[in-house]
Amino acid sequence: MNAIDNERNEPPINTSRRRILKVSALALATAGAYGVAPFFGPWKHNHAWSQAGQKKPLVLGLTMDASGQYAASGMDERLGAMLAIKEINAKGGVLGRPIEAIHMDSETTPATGSRVAERLITRNEAAFLIGALHSGVANAISQVAQKYGCIFLNTNSSSPTEAGKDCHRVKFVWDGNGTNFALAIVKNAMAVNGKNWVLLTNDYVWGHQTSKATRTIVEANGGKIVEELMVPQNTRDFSSYLLKIQQIKPNVVAAAIGGDDIKALRQQVVQVKLNKSPAWINNQQDWPDVYGLGPDAIFGVFGTNWYYRLDLPGVKEFVAAYQTTYPGVQIRVPGNTYYNGYMATRELLRAVERAGTTNNIKVIKELEALKVSARDRMQDFDAYMNPVTHQLQQTIYMATYNDAPAEKDDIFKILAKLPPKDVEDPEAPTTCKLESYEATPTYEM
Amino acid sequence: MEFLTNLLPHLVNGVSLGLLFALIALGFMLIVGVMETINLAHGSMFALGMYVALFIVAPKLPALAPAVEWYGTLPLGTRYGVALLLAPVIVGIFGMLLELCMRRTYGKDPLYGLLLTFGAALVIEELIRVIWGSNEKQLPLPDAISGAFMLGDLLYARYRLFASGFAIVMIVLLWLFLEKTPYGAMIKAGAHDSEMVRALGINLPRLRLFVFALGVGLAAIAGVVMAPIWGIRPQVGVDAVVPAFLIIVLGGVGSLWGAVIAGLMVGMVVGLSGAYASEWSLLSMYLLFIVVVTFRARGLFGRKSVLDA
Repeated sequence: MNAIDNERNEPPINTSRRRILKVSALALATAGAYGVAPFFGPWKHNHAWSQAGQKKPLVLGLTMDASGQYAASGMDERLGAMLAIKEINAKGGVLGRPIEAIHMDSETTPATGSRVAERLITRNEAAFLIGALHSGVANAISQVAQKYGCIFLNTNSSSPTEAGKDCHRVKFVWDGNGTNFALAIVKNAMAVNGKNWVLLTNDYVWGHQTSKATRTIVEANGGKIVEELMVPQNTRDFSSYLLKIQQIKPNVVAAAIGGDDIKALRQQVVQVKLNKSPAWINNQQDWPDVYGLGPDAIFGVFGTNWYYRLDLPGVKEFVAAYQTTYPGVQIRVPGNTYYNGYMATRELLRAVERAGTTNNIKVIKELEALKVSARDRMQDFDAYMNPVTHQLQQTIYMATYNDAPAEKDDIFKILAKLPPKDVEDPEAPTTCKLESYEATPTYEM
Repeated sequence: MEFLTNLLPHLVNGVSLGLLFALIALGFMLIVGVMETINLAHGSMFALGMYVALFIVAPKLPALAPAVEWYGTLPLGTRYGVALLLAPVIVGIFGMLLELCMRRTYGKDPLYGLLLTFGAALVIEELIRVIWGSNEKQLPLPDAISGAFMLGDLLYARYRLFASGFAIVMIVLLWLFLEKTPYGAMIKAGAHDSEMVRALGINLPRLRLFVFALGVGLAAIAGVVMAPIWGIRPQVGVDAVVPAFLIIVLGGVGSLWGAVIAGLMVGMVVGLSGAYASEWSLLSMYLLFIVVVTFRARGLFGRKSVLDA
């Protein structure tokens, strides 16, 4: 069929179906499979370093995802960082300087993460970068950050490689990683459920590394990985995977799936009533990925590093501050991603205050020596920064659905709490090779 | 033999997936085929269909609490049926507004239309965020179409069976409408020779408005049907528009059966690769596309455009 003709007597345009399709394909490619709000570059570099002494605002570059697979968690961790900034500004800022935050969407896309980091450092003169969910994005941002010596806080990206082979002197990792969670969950799940496992792996660095950690523990304890099914990012239909799992008949399915993918998977598992059998474990369950899904969809055992109903000092006040500051948000109580965004930002700004300067090397040294009491972290055990890997060693919780909730949002039941030493990633210190201080560009903002 | 037994559920699943892909592409096909306009807002209309359906099935209107309470007492199946009927009509009205805005772009460089619909997609997505928030939502389903049934010795979602059957019904209805009704004849005639149609006294702008609303309404229906499978979130439209575009080009622009066959092929390839080479499951549709378009640039059932001659 041809197009309906133009009614008006417009000048003829050389328009063909092929041209329309070409242009559309280009537009679609630009829009990308990860979101409809593309980020264009490249950016002109015209930075000005060394402005110490001026009482101008200290700029934090927030690199959280606002679109793509991890958009929901990106928004959540951004709220956490913003609250930390607000609280510190209310106390007069850092070194007498107010804190300003500039957010740019890294779109759950590594290439965008690089561009965003480059722009925030070189054009917006961000002193520090904060925020990451997707390990590919975190790695991309940290490479740019290392080039400039800009301290980068990986708030929520949990591939073991982040504090392993992809570690950097300027990067600090605040979440538990896939190995920490696997150590917390796998052995126990084998004892309870059996030794034949299927791995369901998001096909990117976090999924690969997390499943690798699970495989190592399963095989070391006499279990068998009967199949590993790779799940490309942005998979929305899991029917073929669920049929395959039924054909294999494993004891346990260990999923390393995140973001919008895990939401779709959980709903589809419930539709075919596979949520009871086989047993499911999800290495780490981010709060925004499960909030609002309904009780049936919160099946299996999973890891987390914080829960809003931990019976610990400060938790209630922290929840109240969230609800007062963000009364309109749909997630009515804070979760792990928010918590990590808050804690990372707060500890960075405290480190700057302790260092008495924004000099990056001095702040890095402060962070490397970081120790936070359990009370201050609102966790069960003290936490500390591993100076060799730059990953915060902290309490890891094992959780499942709470079938006796105290209130509507009380959907997790904490099954176990493990101290940092018990779940420390043994491989990270051997694979992480931090750049020397001398090889890291120094700056003061 | 065991291999064939294992393969069979995946073939059935592939057909089911294919029908759903075809359903997603139908509205896109109609607008591109008849009006040669790429509606990049197709995905957003798909998402809007989901949200409107959610509102119809489980309304939240504190100002009208008594009415909402009464409405809530109606069986879920009734409310779901109302959503299936009303959501495409409501979203179709949005489509009409968009078409009215698009009139200034007709006959001009296609980039204008693309930019306009791209902008509309952004606006609609943000509108959804403002009204419904960014959180994941779920469309409640009546018991009759939820749960699982045995496909051989495997469990399969009952809703998928319903969705596939519904997709077949929609495909047949659209075919009957285009081929067996005077309105369908007008649409096709308007596409082939608008001068002649205008000379016969048919109101072309109104026809175009109707076609666009129909295409958008089909996107909304696909959204309602896919909501329980993909989940409801503001950015879900992107997941629909990319395969829809691929399917209509693969099938041949403007061909209803081309879109259906291409949808089935994509479903089969995605389903089988998901089972036997899972890391290729998303990429497989693009590989299929490359193979077909390499040998037949117009797609499987595409006719050569007069404008290309």
